[in-house]
Amino acid sequence: MADKYNLKNPAVKRILQEVKEMQSNPSDDFMSLPLEENIFEWQFAIRGPRDTEFEGGIYHGRIQLPAEYPFKPPSFMLLTPNGRFETQTKICLSISNHHPEHWQPSWSVRTALVALIAFMPTNPNGALGSLDYKKEERRTLAIKSRDVAPRFGTPERQKLIDEIHEYMLSKAPPVPELSPSQTSEEQEQPRIEEAKAEVDLQNPEDSPAGEENADQAADEIVEEQELPINANPDPNPAGIEASTEIPSAVSGTQSPQKSNTMIQNLKPETRVQKPDDRMFTVAAIGLTIAIVVLLLKKFIKSTEYGAVFMNGGS
Amino acid sequence: MQNKQAVLEDGQAAHVTDTHDWDNFVDDDIMQQKSAIHAEEAKKIPFLGDKEPISSLAAEYQSGSPILLEKIKVLDEQYAAIRRTRGDGNCFFRGFMFSYLEHILVSQDQAEVDRIQANIEKSRNALQSLGYADLTFEDFFALFIEQLEGVVQGKEGSISHEELVSRCRDPSVSDYVVMFFRFVTSAEIQKRSVFFEPFIMGLTNTTVEQFCKSSVEPMGEESDHVQITALSDALGVPIRVVYLDRSSCDNGGVSVNHHDFMPTASDLPNASVSAEKNNPFITLLYRPGHYDILYPK
Repeated sequence: MADKYNLKNPAVKRILQEVKEMQSNPSDDFMSLPLEENIFEWQFAIRGPRDTEFEGGIYHGRIQLPAEYPFKPPSFMLLTPNGRFETQTKICLSISNHHPEHWQPSWSVRTALVALIAFMPTNPNGALGSLDYKKEERRTLAIKSRDVAPRFGTPERQKLIDEIHEYMLSKAPPVPELSPSQTSEEQEQPRIEEAKAEVDLQNPEDSPAGEENADQAADEIVEEQELPINANPDPNPAGIEASTEIPSAVSGTQSPQKSNTMIQNLKPETRVQKPDDRMFTVAAIGLTIAIVVLLLKKFIKSTEYGAVFMNGGS
Repeated sequence: MQNKQAVLEDGQAAHVTDTHDWDNFVDDDIMQQKSAIHAEEAKKIPFLGDKEPISSLAAEYQSGSPILLEKIKVLDEQYAAIRRTRGDGNCFFRGFMFSYLEHILVSQDQAEVDRIQANIEKSRNALQSLGYADLTFEDFFALFIEQLEGVVQGKEGSISHEELVSRCRDPSVSDYVVMFFRFVTSAEIQKRSVFFEPFIMGLTNTTVEQFCKSSVEPMGEESDHVQITALSDALGVPIRVVYLDRSSCDNGGVSVNHHDFMPTASDLPNASVSAEKNNPFITLLYRPGHYDILYPK
């Protein structure tokens, strides 16, 4: 792969180093590799974070690295429906290029993926490209996400996506069953999920896939272990440490800037603040009416007195 | 509140139609606009200008404050020339880069090269112990060391003065060296966070780590006393900053203030200004928000 590129180009040099690092320190939580024909285009998959409704989910996406990388941030786009980020839409994280002022060259694709995983369970606050599906819907999507990798792009890219999917399946335990305490309003959900999880375990290829790709799904899965992904299973602690530190910093800076660029999501549950607004409005109207009544009363009184006084005087 | 919501929803309606388009977002527009502004700025002045006489400064203030014109006259007596840097938020680091490398090129001071290389290694270790992954900073370090070795003459990779100027104007060298200084600065501040914390709290009311993430490491973030102190300490290079502003002196006469950033010996936490009273060989002219390079007579 390397000989096609100008190794004097600092961006290329850096990206190749990141590829090498990604391969020599594989993570159970994500996998990401560039396309063979273009190292500025990567595919990735992340595993849904534990103890959330995304647990067990395998979410695929693509990364575009700019020519000025690492000075300009990579952009991220998810391909697997997940209920938290829209698919085929650039993700709005302060670590990706929607907040370019926050990106810094000391971050890497690895850092960004760790941040992305950390962002999954956060409240979207109406962020651009965010979704605010109910937990149950997200769990359903998490189960579905394991069935088959999304179909996207050239056969070359598809092969990479499928390889990453196989790798992630071997690393990510299936979607856990809901414990009774976790069961919320909807009683239907757990049963469906149990059923699906079972299907998953028995035969991942044949279980019901996403609406759009159910038909072609089964036969296109590529055998696993094509990539030398597991070459060196012992992770470099320094690398991991560096990357895990950053999300907290990111989430710290995230919230204040969000509101101005962000858009209110149309999902029903985002309107929680409404009752408060209404209460204030009612109170304000009430107060206004009270004041008007008082003024009127005073006015009437004064004109009456005035009239009496004037009458008396004449 | 409700109006705002309505506006926001309108905004979303506009976006929904475009959600499949990779390039159709407001934020991208902002980015494009930002880079257009940068491009405009770039046309006006390269990363690094040519040497100009001090009198060229006066032309900028013809109709401006008489104090400034007086001060420029004083500058003209003390300094031979000015070399401008682009006002892109990296001007301090860019000015430092050129000034330092030019000094080595002219002086061929091998002891200084050895000394700074030892300090660079300390910075590298500091970054590693702070948890930075090697791959995120090693390219920047390697590129600076390459330039440093390049300005030492008589070797295979030695470069001329013109080559140094053109490298400092080439983003694929210049930006990498700026970033190298940002890493060194950030490492120094975090390594000595107890020392820097009160200054940072006073400036921005953020934590040391947060300050480094938001005001030191990102490209284009301007530098102030904290960054200059940290870089000077980390590399052990004194820096003189000459202030050109409208402040006037009580005693009637106009003089130009300067401040010398003298590196402290970092292994002695309470060490005062280093004993050697070397005049700084790097002199920068500060006008509010911007640094250029000055050449003493």
